[in-house]
Amino acid sequence: MTEHKIETPKERLNRHKAMEASAVLEKIKHDYKEPPRAMEYFYDLYERVHCKHESLHSDKAKVGTMCIQVPSEIIYALDAVPLRLCNGFYTDDEIGSDFLPSKSCPLVKATVGQFVSNNFSDKPDVIISPTTCDQKAKSGAIIESMGFSVYDMEFPRTKESHESREYWRRSVRKFTKDLSENLNTKLSKKKLKESIQKIGYAQHLYHKLNILRKNTASPILGKDMFLVTNAFFFDKIDSWIDAMKKLLEECEEMVEAKVNAASKMSPRIVYTGSPPIFPNLKIPLLIELCDAIIVADETCSSNRMFNDMVSVDEWFINDMIDSIADRYLKGCTCPIFTKNDDRKRRILDLVKDYKADGVVYQAFAGCQVYEMEQRSVLEAMQKAGVPILYIESDYSPSQSGQLTTRIEAFVESLKNRKRRQQ
Amino acid sequence: MNYFAGIDIGSTAIKIAIVDENRKLVGHKISASGSMFYKYAKQALKEMLDELNIDEKNLVYRVATGYGRKLFKEADENISEITANAMGAMAAADGKCNIKTIINIGGQDSKAISLDDEGNVVNFAMNDRCAAGTGKFLDVVAMNLEIEVDELGEYHFKSQGTPLAINSTCAVFAESEIIGLLGNDHSVEDIVAGVHYSIAKRIIKLLKRVGINEGIYFDGGPALNSGLVNAIENELGKKIFIPEFPQITTSYGAAILALESYEFENKI
Ligand code: SF4
Ligand code: SF4
Repeated sequence: MTEHKIETPKERLNRHKAMEASAVLEKIKHDYKEPPRAMEYFYDLYERVHCKHESLHSDKAKVGTMCIQVPSEIIYALDAVPLRLCNGFYTDDEIGSDFLPSKSCPLVKATVGQFVSNNFSDKPDVIISPTTCDQKAKSGAIIESMGFSVYDMEFPRTKESHESREYWRRSVRKFTKDLSENLNTKLSKKKLKESIQKIGYAQHLYHKLNILRKNTASPILGKDMFLVTNAFFFDKIDSWIDAMKKLLEECEEMVEAKVNAASKMSPRIVYTGSPPIFPNLKIPLLIELCDAIIVADETCSSNRMFNDMVSVDEWFINDMIDSIADRYLKGCTCPIFTKNDDRKRRILDLVKDYKADGVVYQAFAGCQVYEMEQRSVLEAMQKAGVPILYIESDYSPSQSGQLTTRIEAFVESLKNRKRRQQ
Repeated sequence: MNYFAGIDIGSTAIKIAIVDENRKLVGHKISASGSMFYKYAKQALKEMLDELNIDEKNLVYRVATGYGRKLFKEADENISEITANAMGAMAAADGKCNIKTIINIGGQDSKAISLDDEGNVVNFAMNDRCAAGTGKFLDVVAMNLEIEVDELGEYHFKSQGTPLAINSTCAVFAESEIIGLLGNDHSVEDIVAGVHYSIAKRIIKLLKRVGINEGIYFDGGPALNSGLVNAIENELGKKIFIPEFPQITTSYGAAILALESYEFENKI
């Protein structure tokens, strides 16, 4: 037998991740009705970054962010790129399991796992860890102990009070100052304004596309939308904007032509809960395989990222920074807040605006806040007469038959309801 | 000269090994088990002796092993395939590898066995619930891809893209996954590599149950598939040892036991 070289641990890990990513891309590309042609860009992007491990930002300073609370506007204005580190790889989840309690949330385990293996296509130079959920906050310290540079960004646990608003504003100002020192760049008024506008433009494109999903014949499936929004975690922002424009144009034409990404009777779903992050798009993929369509979502890996724009009264540096701070705190509907009626309100609004037939709520096993808030969201939905399905899930890739059965049953009950109402 | 036979009656094949008084493997044979184990096993043994020119009365001890071992009435003794496998592996490695862990992939099951310094079995794990990851599964894969089983290795090394993961743990679903991949125009090479890696990952899980210790030995027919060997080595990050005739290790072990039992009885 001829001798063959054995892979290095790094090669093996990259192969595992490539295999995991390509298995999911395979489903996304082929198991559903034909997607818009402009999705090719995104499919290709994931392949380049997650299967071929291509680096996109070798020329820039990279700021890793552990949660959406870190203002990207400021990072771009300092000539660096924000890379969101929330991770969806089962491969990394398994590695992280050796470093965290077994009952931790898979997202946190996968994020830590990525640092254990120290394997990045684009390695962050500094990591910003907002003190949002406990598991995130504590894993920041674990990552630091592995020799990475981690900056704790203090984040309040309530958002209604004046005190927390002031506290957070100070926190963002401090962050801006510290980061600019760390990166050795001075923040200019012009750059900050430009970056607010650029992100605002990205959000504007997202909103326009999102609104098209209100049509009875939605041009795009939720699984593709998750892919588009997840790409914002790591893509070059200008390329993302270009790709979005093309997608938007095509989807507008599709709406014109009444092309329906789903079938006529497909129940319309609002998705909420722990964030689906590529390649763990397990539940969204299952929902749409069961002949439903996700028309909107309330998750921090998609809609919540783009929901609110920074609104500025005066274009002075400090005003801009305060406005940015406000947008991140006020707009956030994450369950880490002590109480969060905003979240229920937003889900209900989405159900109404997008004429949804039901809600699917995913909580990662081990994510206390989403698990705890589940009950009150369920009650709110029941009170409003909105059917809701609660699912606990993890990152393991084996297709769980039980999950399919539950989702199928839920989708069918929605279909029956629809038929009877007509 | 006295001779000793080990007869391994497996689900898909009957393997016979014959050793002489000096523990030397003088002959081995593999034939299909078919539906009449006993008849075929007897016939195969007879043919074998004829080929080797051994007089039947010189065959002084026979040990049967494998899933059909109880059906072989002429056996002087029976032995489980776990023990036989371990003994055969030690003999086949012949000091070239200090075996601590055995991987065996058979027609319809796969095993992991861990040994102590003396070659005694300390632990073993078996995956016999499903054909995914067994020799039978590789046959089905090759059939679906319209290639020969012994070409799988060659295709594996020609894979250029990402090996395509097969996530189903059930052979039936795995088969439809493969057909799906073919339908989406993926190359046979990438699918073959994906199959090998998926089997390799499952094997590693099995190995972890018994503990992976340096000195890893791989036998059973699929050990002839260099692609699968490569996949397992990559998953382990270690080289593994493949004997010259990986398909017959278990019968070889049974033959060695035959010799030892005979020596013990006759106090040689
Ligand atoms: S779930 Fe909440 S705390 Fe966790 S990453 Fe998303 S926004 Fe941040
Ligand atoms: S899913 Fe839950 S535990 Fe995990 S990061 Fe988000 S809030 Fe924290």
